[in-house]
Amino acid sequence: MGLERLLQIDRRILYLLIALGTLIPILLPIGFPVSTTRPTERFFEKIESLGPDDVVLASFDYGPTTAPENAPMAEAILRHCFTRRIKVVVIALFPLGGVTMAGQELDLIRAEYPALREGEDYAFLGYKDGAQAAMKQMGVDFAAVFPADHAGRPLGELPLMTRVRNYDDIALIVSLSTNVIAEYWVNLVNAQFRTPVAVGATAVSAPKYYAYLDAGQMLGLLGGVKGASEYERLLLDGYPELRPMYRKPGVYNAMKGMDAQTIDHAIIMLFILLGNVAFFQMRRRAGRGGDASGGAART
Amino acid sequence: MFWKVRLPLLLTALVGLVPIVTFFLTDRVPLIGPAVPFVRDRVERYMIIIAGFALLLGVVNVLQGNLRRIERRLPGWPFAISLLAGLLVMGVFGILSAFRVGPFQGLLATPDGRATPFYWMTIHMFNPLQAAMFSLLAFYIASAAFRSFRVRNVEATILLTAAFVVMLGRTPLGEYVLAWIPGGERWVPRLTDWIMAVPNTAAQRGVIIGAALGAASLSLRVILGIERSYLGLKGE
Amino acid sequence: MNAAPWFEPTRVGAPLVLLLVFSALVLFFIHLSRRGREIFIRRIAGIAAIEEAIGRATELGRKVLYLPGSASVDDNQTIASLAVMRHVASLSASYGADLSVLNKDPLTFAAARETVQEAYLQAGRPDLFTPDRVTYVTYDQFAFTAAVAGIMVRERPAANFFIGAYQAESLLLAETGQSVGAMQIAGTAEVTQLPFFAVVCDYTLMGEELYAAGAYLSKEPAMLGSIKGQDFTKAGLILCILVGVTLEIFGVHWLKQAMTIR
Repeated sequence: MGLERLLQIDRRILYLLIALGTLIPILLPIGFPVSTTRPTERFFEKIESLGPDDVVLASFDYGPTTAPENAPMAEAILRHCFTRRIKVVVIALFPLGGVTMAGQELDLIRAEYPALREGEDYAFLGYKDGAQAAMKQMGVDFAAVFPADHAGRPLGELPLMTRVRNYDDIALIVSLSTNVIAEYWVNLVNAQFRTPVAVGATAVSAPKYYAYLDAGQMLGLLGGVKGASEYERLLLDGYPELRPMYRKPGVYNAMKGMDAQTIDHAIIMLFILLGNVAFFQMRRRAGRGGDASGGAART
Repeated sequence: MFWKVRLPLLLTALVGLVPIVTFFLTDRVPLIGPAVPFVRDRVERYMIIIAGFALLLGVVNVLQGNLRRIERRLPGWPFAISLLAGLLVMGVFGILSAFRVGPFQGLLATPDGRATPFYWMTIHMFNPLQAAMFSLLAFYIASAAFRSFRVRNVEATILLTAAFVVMLGRTPLGEYVLAWIPGGERWVPRLTDWIMAVPNTAAQRGVIIGAALGAASLSLRVILGIERSYLGLKGE
Repeated sequence: MNAAPWFEPTRVGAPLVLLLVFSALVLFFIHLSRRGREIFIRRIAGIAAIEEAIGRATELGRKVLYLPGSASVDDNQTIASLAVMRHVASLSASYGADLSVLNKDPLTFAAARETVQEAYLQAGRPDLFTPDRVTYVTYDQFAFTAAVAGIMVRERPAANFFIGAYQAESLLLAETGQSVGAMQIAGTAEVTQLPFFAVVCDYTLMGEELYAAGAYLSKEPAMLGSIKGQDFTKAGLILCILVGVTLEIFGVHWLKQAMTIR
């Protein structure tokens, strides 16, 4: 009988436990180990194979709402590129805050890599609307879509952009995405121009992209905080000198996020288990013809 | 009848057929060749311009509705004041910033790194509010999962089992659970990867293909003028 | 004259054939149904439950809330939603239910207002229509979600319809609706949001069921014929998949190569 009361529990108690399960690990990191999966390893290996003569196009296709998932990916990938002295062209195609997110991440990375020179080691071209149309036109000429960079300098004045005309000069496209824009990169750009595409997606969107991964249209996939933490793990294993950046107290990263996600998953699984035990008890007591809905929504 | 029904249907048919036809053509087709790249690459961007004008219509509706609410002291009228205040402040700041008037020098940070007023409000008000709303998902997923994952029938049991395995496998718990068995620490993560790569992908592909055909059928009905719901009318 | 340069060589293969076959099948069945042949479409539970939901709201004296999704009117899901909205508005007018349509997109708002007004007129209750029934909330995803969630908690609708394109707001809206005791019918083709709706809502229209809803509700021959044509195309694609998988197992790749679009 006691356990059956769990079925009528005030949902705010569950919310409180989830809140504590999220807050405490963020403030007091536990440090659960992170194991890596093949989609992340393929992403990492591709960037590992690039060098100072290669250019990566990083498209910020997310906004503030999914920053806890996408921002750690962006930071890890930019750190990986700049540590290997790979050149990066940064654009934003997401209308609701994409360019803000790109600006914030570049500000953060610039502070960690003071020797970086804008225009030579990286270029920030800003936001362009009409994602698909912009992608198609960049296949012909970047300057047709971004005649100037974010600060208003003509593309011809940027040394990096004098050797990046279109996708033929790009070794890898990285889309950090919250929605359908990543699909456009795969369906339009990879299909038409054959430029490799790797995607960092939210956990909700990631299941949809396994089809593209299987088909070879997508080279690698980071799924949510788990994917971001896997990339951070690979980065730190390969470049121990980056560890201080991930040990700063009070600074969020995906590995800390995974601690919170682990605790929250454990709380949810515990409640599901207890809820089912209570449900079985109630059904056994009421008999097969009794009310066994358990207050749940019809499916 | 012509202006309200026939003309929109004619325009719809034309605007719908032209991109389909130009998809297969090159710019070497006599007479219409030069228009092919234009249609393919530029026309869809005009939608964004049209949507901009429609946004004005929406803003007028918001103003009208909330001013009426304040005037008549309808329930919740103080919130209408805060809504209109937010709309006016962000709207005016945004327009002034876009045209770089006075202290409003742009929508982002100034070249010396200081935040412009619009950027400051975006970073310190808009972004945290967005993040707060999005974070509610964590709580709602917990309550939805607790309420819905019950062993009621075969399908619900399969759903529950798959969800359990994936929730375990996507965290380090998946490794700890069977670590007492030699080699067991990889079983749950591998099963998770298999669930994501095989049944999940198969189901997603099935829904995507079905939905794509449904969308194509609907598009054909719209182009042929059979489907007229977007005009507020019944079908043909 | 050599006509080959007129056509994109990588696009006139499988895509053109598929387009022509699909269009031919749809037009053929539209023609058949117009000539009086009866077209069977299976019962779709979510659509059949619409009347129950509106009836419940009328009895309880509470609102019917309709959300046509977050996409603009150029999205097929929104067009499909407008067709369902028409039916919901028509039933609400007949029953005297208090319908409220909340919009995120301004173009959808304009189309929705026309649709609802026309539905009330056709139902013979133009007196019950007021412009306030169809309102524009805001373009921002989570500001819209917050506003609608607040309306649900304050006004406690008895029936919620989430029909159209949804993103992350789907679970927020559905769970809030569940907490106020509303009967909820959802319909979307967004595969990432279907699991949330399926778990929380009472009925869910999945993918093509949403697109078929307008045809199903109207019962018009041309509409039903197009569904049949779509079904036959799907049957053909299933056959292609089975044949293609078999050929690939035996190392024969011509079908896969023929179907590759560049």
